Amino acid sequence: MRPAARASAVLVAAVVAAPVMLGAEYLLRVLILAGIFVVLAISYDLIVGQVGSLSLAHPAFYGVGAYTTGILTTRYGLDPLPTFLVAAALGAVTAVVVGIPSFRLRDRSFAIGTLGMAWVLQLVANNWIGLTRGPMCITGVPPLMIMLPGGVELTTIFPRTGYVLIVVIAIATYLIAWAINSSRVGRAFHAIRENELLAEMQGVNSLFYKMLALGIGAAIAAVAGGYYATYSSVVCPSEMAMMYTITLLIIVYLGGAGSLRGVTVAAVVFVVLPEVLRVAAAARLFVYGGLLLGAAIYLPGGVEALINRVERAWPGRSATPRSGR
Amino acid sequence: MALLETTDVWKRFYGLDVLRGVSLHVHPGEVVGLIGPNGSGKTTLFNCITGQYSVDAGRVVFKGRDITGYSPHRVCGLGVTRTFQMVQVYPGLSVRDNLLVALQEHQERSVLARVLRVARVREAEARARDRAAALLEEFALVRLADQPAGVLSYGQRKLLEFASALMAEPELILLDEPAAAVNPTMIERMKEHVRRIHARGKAFLIIEHNMSVVMDICERVVVLDHGEKIAEGVPAEIQRDPQVLQAYFGR
Repeated sequence: MRPAARASAVLVAAVVAAPVMLGAEYLLRVLILAGIFVVLAISYDLIVGQVGSLSLAHPAFYGVGAYTTGILTTRYGLDPLPTFLVAAALGAVTAVVVGIPSFRLRDRSFAIGTLGMAWVLQLVANNWIGLTRGPMCITGVPPLMIMLPGGVELTTIFPRTGYVLIVVIAIATYLIAWAINSSRVGRAFHAIRENELLAEMQGVNSLFYKMLALGIGAAIAAVAGGYYATYSSVVCPSEMAMMYTITLLIIVYLGGAGSLRGVTVAAVVFVVLPEVLRVAAAARLFVYGGLLLGAAIYLPGGVEALINRVERAWPGRSATPRSGR
Repeated sequence: MALLETTDVWKRFYGLDVLRGVSLHVHPGEVVGLIGPNGSGKTTLFNCITGQYSVDAGRVVFKGRDITGYSPHRVCGLGVTRTFQMVQVYPGLSVRDNLLVALQEHQERSVLARVLRVARVREAEARARDRAAALLEEFALVRLADQPAGVLSYGQRKLLEFASALMAEPELILLDEPAAAVNPTMIERMKEHVRRIHARGKAFLIIEHNMSVVMDICERVVVLDHGEKIAEGVPAEIQRDPQVLQAYFGR
């Protein structure tokens, strides 16, 4: 590793580990939310940033995961951890169900199609009382508990270990996304994003790859939903709200669509910043909105562009440009 | 047996017959020109061959296989590639990646093997990189290999598009106006590229308005007018064909 990369790796590790040492509950709860958004943003970026399909259905996949874990643990008494696998599988199946009709459409129509499908799923969550208890919510979801050798217990009951668990999930998500994006599968994704017609003409089965990106993204989002269910112990239809789509869109575009590290940083900043701004309670949302607007105007490439600028100023940078965006 | 054969291909847009029963064939290793006035259906025929359009009637047969109604990626997988009148590249990908995409779907295709980078995938990638390096050399794009294709000039994009169409070692290459909107030096280079690749046994079907290019590189010419084939023959004959002159210049 280059010295710069090593230094930033150490820095990131220290920032991630510090809250555990500190043990401040409020801070940890904010960071757990940030972790969930990191997982959601990276998985959303697979669809929007890598393969370039503007899906608006992401919270629906998250909701499917949350309900899967919620229902399987409370009604069938399953241990939470294995339900995450079921959640991932059902998330992917939902993606196929959403994708088959929606991918017949293109661009804006595709976005509207996925929005409609997400809407339908939220209506199902609200009205299929027998399955989801509707607005009464599923309550009493047991916490995730993992016994490590040596008697160390990781559980979502305590913010400190709950934080460790979401960090593990976030790192796993990051690594999976990195492995995909930098592989030949990622190259096919990028080709479709850049010029779908040409990609088809060069033998790239664009429908297959778009479905793949949607499926993987949905499976990961569903795991985040499963984690949230065990962490909050409650699952409500509002988890699937459209509002979260807007939040994720802002994160992905402020991070730099298609940039893994940019999107990750943006997710953390987006969740933590409003909390930091509480020092100026009255002006909080005003300042926050102003910062978003400023970033949109002066940082069109998002966080990725900012990191690039810093890297260029750093001695010993590598000379080869990054593939993709 | 013909490499490519279209039989009585019809294509209709909103009640307008753009192709009216076009039949043509390309033999293995042959260079065929496809000419005709603007709007005569040349590019539409390309789109019908490559699967971008579905045909309303008729058949497209490649290497004895009926490919009518195949999706573009399947047609490409059988060994047909093309370039576009409106030159197409991946602007955000490097020139090298532009070439690599064009071959990878013809090699191993398992998603898991690719993500895990198993030996089979690494070998295929190494072969693809060798092939890309050779084509970069051949098309004088080495210096630009790591630049995003979006920064290339029009002529450079045209060369990149041509090189991309060769990555997968197709048996038939469809060129849509290779000499349009480029300078005379570039036209000569394009002609040389076609001749050299033809010498390696590849077949071409070429849409071109520049008659001196058609006369120079095509062994046979097919003329379309208003969606119908009005003439076919060696270039010298076509030049004197009264129907062709009528189509181009009126009476």
